[in-house]
Amino acid sequence: MQSKKTTNQRELKHLKSALKSYRYDKKSKIKVGIPRALHFYRFFPFWKKLLEELGCELILSPPTYKQIVEEGAFQGFGELCLPVKVYYGHILYLMREYPELDYIFVPRYVSERVEGYFCPKFLSLPDVIRTLPNIPKILTFTINVKENPISNSIISLAKTLGKGQREALQAYEKAKKYHKQYQDFLRKGTPVGYALKLVEKDKPFKMLKKKTPKNIKFLLLGHGYNIFDTYVNLDFQKKLTRHGVDVLTIENLPEILFKEPVIINKQFRPYWLHEDEILAAIRYYLVQGRKEIDGVIFLISFACGPDSLIAELIMRDMKVIRLPFLQIIMDEHTGEAGLLTRIESFVEMIKRKKRKLDEMKEKQDLKIFEEA
Amino acid sequence: MIVSFPNMGYSWPAFKTLIECMGVKVVLPDPTNREAVKIGVKYSPEFVCFPFKVTLGDFVSAIKKGADTLVMAIDCGPCRFGFYHAVQERILHDMGYKNIRVIPLDQADLLEFKWVKTLFDVTPTKNLFLYTKAVKAVQYFIKKTKYIEDISTAEGLIRCYERNKGDTTRVVKELLIKLDKTNKINELRKFKSVITNDFKKIDIDRSRDPLKVALSGEIHITLESHDNLDIRRKLGEMGVQLYQNLSVYDWVIHKFHLNFHRKWLEYLARPYMPMDIGGEAVWVIGEYIDRARSGFDGFIHAYPFTCMPEISARTILTNTLYKKYNLPIIFFSFDEHAAESGFRTRLEAFVDLIQGRRKQKRQKKEIKLEKKSKEPSYEVHGGSLYNSIFQFIQAG
Ligand code: SF4
Ligand code: SF4
Repeated sequence: MQSKKTTNQRELKHLKSALKSYRYDKKSKIKVGIPRALHFYRFFPFWKKLLEELGCELILSPPTYKQIVEEGAFQGFGELCLPVKVYYGHILYLMREYPELDYIFVPRYVSERVEGYFCPKFLSLPDVIRTLPNIPKILTFTINVKENPISNSIISLAKTLGKGQREALQAYEKAKKYHKQYQDFLRKGTPVGYALKLVEKDKPFKMLKKKTPKNIKFLLLGHGYNIFDTYVNLDFQKKLTRHGVDVLTIENLPEILFKEPVIINKQFRPYWLHEDEILAAIRYYLVQGRKEIDGVIFLISFACGPDSLIAELIMRDMKVIRLPFLQIIMDEHTGEAGLLTRIESFVEMIKRKKRKLDEMKEKQDLKIFEEA
Repeated sequence: MIVSFPNMGYSWPAFKTLIECMGVKVVLPDPTNREAVKIGVKYSPEFVCFPFKVTLGDFVSAIKKGADTLVMAIDCGPCRFGFYHAVQERILHDMGYKNIRVIPLDQADLLEFKWVKTLFDVTPTKNLFLYTKAVKAVQYFIKKTKYIEDISTAEGLIRCYERNKGDTTRVVKELLIKLDKTNKINELRKFKSVITNDFKKIDIDRSRDPLKVALSGEIHITLESHDNLDIRRKLGEMGVQLYQNLSVYDWVIHKFHLNFHRKWLEYLARPYMPMDIGGEAVWVIGEYIDRARSGFDGFIHAYPFTCMPEISARTILTNTLYKKYNLPIIFFSFDEHAAESGFRTRLEAFVDLIQGRRKQKRQKKEIKLEKKSKEPSYEVHGGSLYNSIFQFIQAG
């Protein structure tokens, strides 16, 4: 009798504590908001895995829409580049719609490589965001391999979330692995927008059905947030597909292209990481890959510092090898109609050129045939 | 081989010495002018920052005068600056100047001594004496940049007192030419007295009570008077005493890790911006706080249109710091479209505003309290020269 009671009691106690820890667990899920802008398009899978492993609940802002851009543009003044304004917009959205958020995640990316940098606006992003009125707490970590290995920054991030070093390192390993899988998945030719959707919904990486390849193939250059934010670029990619064009982006290219550093001239190597990738991709198509694509389009946002210089170099290279090149500069006032006509005429021009080439080839074949 | 480099305000005598001491001939581009800017704008990418366009224009002008090797400072930092020479060289080649070399002068960290290589690059004859030459070149360079800083400090202090408009400007011009001609070490050592004596000859009206305003911002724009529509002169003639920390000397010493003033500014800026993001962003923020604490009347932030780091700084200044420190601030972003008339009106309005603010404060006798604020501030205005000029102004 006595013993039975004690076991009961013990069980009860156990249950209670379990319940308590469950409650605690539920409460302790830290809510973190992530704006769907800027380096979201590059690092989201990594962040997701990392933060979820560290016990956070993630809340994403929706894909950009009109009000977000307008609010962001209102908050930032005229000379800022569009992506940063859009970023403001997303932050404001999160603040308005989710006042219960514990943190907003604004990482600081300084450099991922010892000799490289991100754009200066990335370097000061948390500082700038912190100046917004009534901003909730900001969760941030600094990726700066010049000074610290990434794992250090992650440990200190975990500390703010109340997690220890071991958990931090485990989370980091997992996140790294996941991001690698994601990148490999992209390199098989998956469009980034689709892959990000899979990540968001926690679905396994499964290939899309292979579509029949189209006649024309473009390389689409630019920062992820310009290319994959379908509102900002007026759903540019879809417009191209509708005109019968296959689109490649940098993310789809094999890793090997980016292994060797780019050389612009002997004394100097470029230092912006993303621009580096753009230049590396272009370098391949300048020589070996010249025949693989029919044209290059570079999406640039107005007032973007790095792109303004890179675009100039690429344009000059393109002139030399006579690959059609279109440079599109976007800001919040870009009109749909104007963009459409520009794309159309560009695609038309290439189609014409292709036809001519084909005809010439036929003629040549004929000639060879006759001569034989 | 004939070497040239772009204009940047008063700094030309120093850069000239640096290269001439290596035994190389130097030509200077014409002082930046409309024509040069026009050429620069025409051949540059549309959205690049303004200094790129101007320096390209300077290069073309130098090439037309016979230069074949151009030196451009670079900083492999986060900003566009490091890309300048690469793109500029490409553009110049495409313009038809095929044999032009643009040599980068790496100033990312002067203690790495990469710049020595650049110096050797520009010298055609290579022999053992090169090292002694280089030492001399650097010694003269640093001395001259220091004197140039002194000249511009004194200029900012005195212009608002001058009786005859234009006196100060004339003295500055003469001094720069004198400095350029001073190439013996013992004369160079005594040059400070030349500066003070020349400035003391200016006829000044001691009864005036000028406003104290600090000028800060991107280095090329704030130093090159053509690009900033001669903001220093205009302010001085409106009766404003101008303080500017930034100079080539200041920058070079910083790159040798010896500039404690900048370290202090970084310390002040740390809560708002913990790292150098290129340009002058961190120091602009630090300087704003410093100036606000030491009781200035106004602050001017000048930068090229779309300059990335300065825009971040501007956002922080307007959103947080202005609210906290309440030192009136005005922003100017310059590019080739900057118009004289609108600029002058804005400047005048700003001067009126701070004048009014000061009057109000004086009535409340706040100004005395402000001077003895508890927070420490670090007064560097050019050392002993600053003091002697100051005494000159005050001694009736
Ligand atoms: S890279 Fe360009 S678009 Fe991106 S944040 Fe920097 S300036 Fe803006
Ligand atoms: S600091 Fe500003 S002006 Fe200078 S290179 Fe950088 S972006 Fe251009």
